[in-house]
Amino acid sequence: MSVTSLDPTSGPLPEAEGKAASRDAVVGEVVLGLVSNGLGRSDEILAAVAREIEQRAPVVRVVAVRKPSVSVPPDPIDWEKLINEVTVAVAGFGG
Amino acid sequence: MSTLHAAHYEYADETALLDDYHAKGWTDGLPVVAPTPERVEAFLAAAQLAPDVVLGEVPTRQVVVTAEHVAINAVMAGCRPEYMPVVVAAVRAHLHEKGNCHSTTGTLSGAAQVVIVNGPARVALDVNCTAGCFGPGWQANATIGRALRLVIRNVCRAVPNFLDRASFSTPARYTFCFGEDEEGSDWVPLAQERGLPADTSAVTVASMIALWSVTDFTSRDPEGVTASIAAALRRRGTASDDWLGDNTNVVVVIGPEHRRYFTQAGWSKADVRAALWPLLTAPQQPGEGTVKVAKPDNVLLVAAGGPGMPESWIIFPHLAWAITEPVVPGVTPVPGPIAAVTGGAAR
Repeated sequence: MSVTSLDPTSGPLPEAEGKAASRDAVVGEVVLGLVSNGLGRSDEILAAVAREIEQRAPVVRVVAVRKPSVSVPPDPIDWEKLINEVTVAVAGFGG
Repeated sequence: MSTLHAAHYEYADETALLDDYHAKGWTDGLPVVAPTPERVEAFLAAAQLAPDVVLGEVPTRQVVVTAEHVAINAVMAGCRPEYMPVVVAAVRAHLHEKGNCHSTTGTLSGAAQVVIVNGPARVALDVNCTAGCFGPGWQANATIGRALRLVIRNVCRAVPNFLDRASFSTPARYTFCFGEDEEGSDWVPLAQERGLPADTSAVTVASMIALWSVTDFTSRDPEGVTASIAAALRRRGTASDDWLGDNTNVVVVIGPEHRRYFTQAGWSKADVRAALWPLLTAPQQPGEGTVKVAKPDNVLLVAAGGPGMPESWIIFPHLAWAITEPVVPGVTPVPGPIAAVTGGAAR
């Protein structure tokens, strides 16, 4: 006997989410974003990562933001800065 | 005519349905009950909810959780229709802003959620609160906790390797639900301590990053048991952060072999907290964590467990408040600042 049943989800999972962004070649000057979650010494390690990147790419400016808490996303104003200003961003996470 | 919104699928039989649900990643890996429209309608009727009633949101995931979503997943979990109001309350509690769904279900640390049931619903639904209450064997315990986890997975999108980024995860993510042994204790029940009227059915949902046993065979007085609990709490410490402020909790489940020393000495829950507090706030020693609990009332004490083993259990929190929600069929508002966060009643 056939069965009719219902989709238990809130929608299909987007294909793009959960995957790494495409690694496009960077042409020209780079504005580097750093997103710290504030855990432990995350600011320090992100600064060290930035120094490494600066030796390999033409970084002209660093935009560093710090989430208000490890529990929440960056503030909207920081999102705007990242979206509008940076070429590529590095996020530290964990916990 | 059905008012259900979810997409309908047709299968030749339940085996084909299960195979497809597993393949689509809609299960926790265990078999599920087919969420037929008739079963889902029955669950909604039991909760006196229309399908499109919004029970909560996860803004960071752009997810809105409806009663229909919850009913479908509660059917799948193996719940009985009469469990549905409890499942709804648990979902609402978890989706409270400070229940912090996004963090507690996405974290690398693999935190789980624990559902603690108080009041007449616990008795009516046979939610186990005595021997074996953390383990298998009771339909209500097994399926209410599982229903919340299936909602988290299927609706809130905490799918492993997608938005659930746990390095190891935990078996407690299959299900974790138990009751408070209100008949076996003269203590004020948890829900009542948190501001709900006596004899109100309620759930408290807490995040859990670790479950530790406090086994103390030697103490024969409340001071000794209290010291053992405090030592275990201090060894690991508890999580919190600025966004959560002063209302993070830790849950301590006190078993009957320990509880009787408190009872014999006439200690209420408030007395236990008063004795714990100076021990928890004493200067940190090498090798200890930080107990980030801002006030005594944030230590939530629950009577449960069976006789034999002189133990209590600490449910260490992840980054969330424990939220208490009444079980109220037909409740419709989206989550707001619900139920009290502080305790206060004596005994």
